[in-house]
Amino acid sequence: MTDLPAIERIAAVSAVGITSLPPDREKLYDKLRSSVHSFSSEVDVNGEEIYFFVLENTATGEIVGTSGVVASAGFHDRFYSYRNEIIVHASQELKVSNKIHALHLCHDLTGLSLLTSFYIDPAYEHTEWPQLLSRARLLYMAEFPQRFADKLAAENPGLCDDEGHSPFWNAVGRRFFNMEYPQAEQLSGGRSKTFIAELMPQYPIYVPLLPAEAQLAIGQLHPVAELPFSILLDEGFEADTYVDIFDGGPTVEARLQTLRTIQGNRRLQVKLSGGTEAEFDSSAAPYLVANIAADTFRATIANACIERNAILIAPAVAASLQLKPGDYVRAAPLGASGHAAPGGTR
Amino acid sequence: MMIIRPIAAADIGALFQLALHAGVGLTTLPANEELLQARIDASLASFAGTSERAEQIFVFVLEDTASHKIVGICAIAAAVGLRQPWYSYRVGQVVHASQELGIFTQTPTLFLSNDHTGQSELCSLFLDPNYRQGKNGSLLSKCRFLFIAQFRERFSKKIIAELRGVSDAEGKSPFWESLGRHFFSMEFKDADYLTGIGKKSFVAELMPKHPLYSSFLTPAAQAVIGQTHELTKPALSMLESEGFRFEGHVDIFDAGPAVECDVEDIDAVAKSRLYKVAMAVPTTAPHAKGPTVDKAGIHYLVANTWLTHFRVMLVRGEPAGETFPLSAEDAQALGVNAGDNVRVVTLSPKDRVAG
Repeated sequence: MTDLPAIERIAAVSAVGITSLPPDREKLYDKLRSSVHSFSSEVDVNGEEIYFFVLENTATGEIVGTSGVVASAGFHDRFYSYRNEIIVHASQELKVSNKIHALHLCHDLTGLSLLTSFYIDPAYEHTEWPQLLSRARLLYMAEFPQRFADKLAAENPGLCDDEGHSPFWNAVGRRFFNMEYPQAEQLSGGRSKTFIAELMPQYPIYVPLLPAEAQLAIGQLHPVAELPFSILLDEGFEADTYVDIFDGGPTVEARLQTLRTIQGNRRLQVKLSGGTEAEFDSSAAPYLVANIAADTFRATIANACIERNAILIAPAVAASLQLKPGDYVRAAPLGASGHAAPGGTR
Repeated sequence: MMIIRPIAAADIGALFQLALHAGVGLTTLPANEELLQARIDASLASFAGTSERAEQIFVFVLEDTASHKIVGICAIAAAVGLRQPWYSYRVGQVVHASQELGIFTQTPTLFLSNDHTGQSELCSLFLDPNYRQGKNGSLLSKCRFLFIAQFRERFSKKIIAELRGVSDAEGKSPFWESLGRHFFSMEFKDADYLTGIGKKSFVAELMPKHPLYSSFLTPAAQAVIGQTHELTKPALSMLESEGFRFEGHVDIFDAGPAVECDVEDIDAVAKSRLYKVAMAVPTTAPHAKGPTVDKAGIHYLVANTWLTHFRVMLVRGEPAGETFPLSAEDAQALGVNAGDNVRVVTLSPKDRVAG
């Protein structure tokens, strides 16, 4: 809970696009409390838990990023999205076959686990730390699959200008609300988006009837979210089927088991190096490494060597992950998209 | 003398000429000989009672008895949509409201419907432009009400009529441009032609099946939903004066209105009544005794009561008790003799008294 002021600061700068981080102290407080409770609870089936992760620079003690997981999208209610569909209108008699793009309001993603709240301090964007911030969640899921659904989804912000005008909202939602989207969201008082969704058009939207700029916005990512989006695509998330019902941004989805980090991760026993880089042989490579504690979960990126069922890491790394020799970790290769192996630890 | 009669096999040539006269772009009378022949055959079978209700169409022509020229056509389909689906959009609305958020929006919608399936339709009206004068148009259109009144069991409880929607001089329909065109890369007039040759349901099957929010259409398209083409407004007024009302169904291509009315509420049907024919004594005859025809009287639609030899004409006169005096020529044209039944109603609803 001591992280609240830092997260509040992040919420303030990330206001546009990351709706899961409301710039409101009380709501953030509730969110953190709920997260603390989720981590410490025994969970057999994913329910209303939310898990909130922060990226801490251990050198400064500063919190420089956030990420989260909602265990069950739309829990207690529905999770709305638009599903991209193609309707074929064909007539043999007239020798015509037309493919019509339509958006169907659906609840398909209800109950999936949602990756949310990704934010990283711009100073860290061009490092490997965004990889850790996003993918550490997957290592946690690998260790505690019963806490999550076997399918994941993640909403990504759609196109809008600096004032928050979204061409998709203007063509669709606005007709039913007569207000700007940020205003509508504010009105809903930070309650679940379901509240607003129920006021949205329930019948399919025929895309050709929308203005060109709204059509172009369907499935288009807001440039601000390129980094987290690309990490998810690299993991194997698919972006073609669902879009956000408000701004048309792409909602990605995937089976947990097919993701790169899940497939590449292993449960290994910790071996400590003598504390110098020299002990790492040529097989040393950067890994995402996480402890397997449900409540005191820690993950970092570290140089490591895998030897059969053991992982060789530096003592400082082990210490930062609250590990001693013989403990188990989850580790997955950082992969080609990662940057040079880091010197320090987090 | 102008008289209405069922179309006959021999009318094919004259009908084709009439269709050519109508020119391109008239849905109801395409200049297609094969199609016209099929329509005549269907009508003959309907009058002869040899076809099923789903196929029945009663086609009438307006004949100038002086020249034996066919100058107009009209028809009643007994039951639409029983062979090919009959589509229309039902204009509706959805309300999205939240007291908590202070939101209340009414959004107009269009629901694709087959609501008119099985209902009888007034259709195929066309009058030679050279004859668009006097009461010819009214006679041609309203003659059908006397037929329906006389042969009610052949028609549904409700009668419908579709009216042409708004399109410009080049045949462009704002509604089609905003909706149909996206689903069917075709000009409105081509779609309209397909409608005329009985292929409307093929086109309809390419149209959107899900409900539409009208607010997603262009303002020009939204403005013409349920609106009648300028040239068709007199026809709309005529139907309205007989009790027809727009009940929220529009054409799926041009959004022109469909109007409807229960048979017993059609004024001309409800107020028509049977009289016995009385032969009028010519007023020119010296010392004439007996009923006369008031040449300055009100216009009446007078029909005989035969099915296959059905005739309707306009007569000026006045009923006398239970009889209706007819001149010898009129009686002959109608094929009736003194004492035969005729069904009669004033041409104008204003002249009618409750029956």
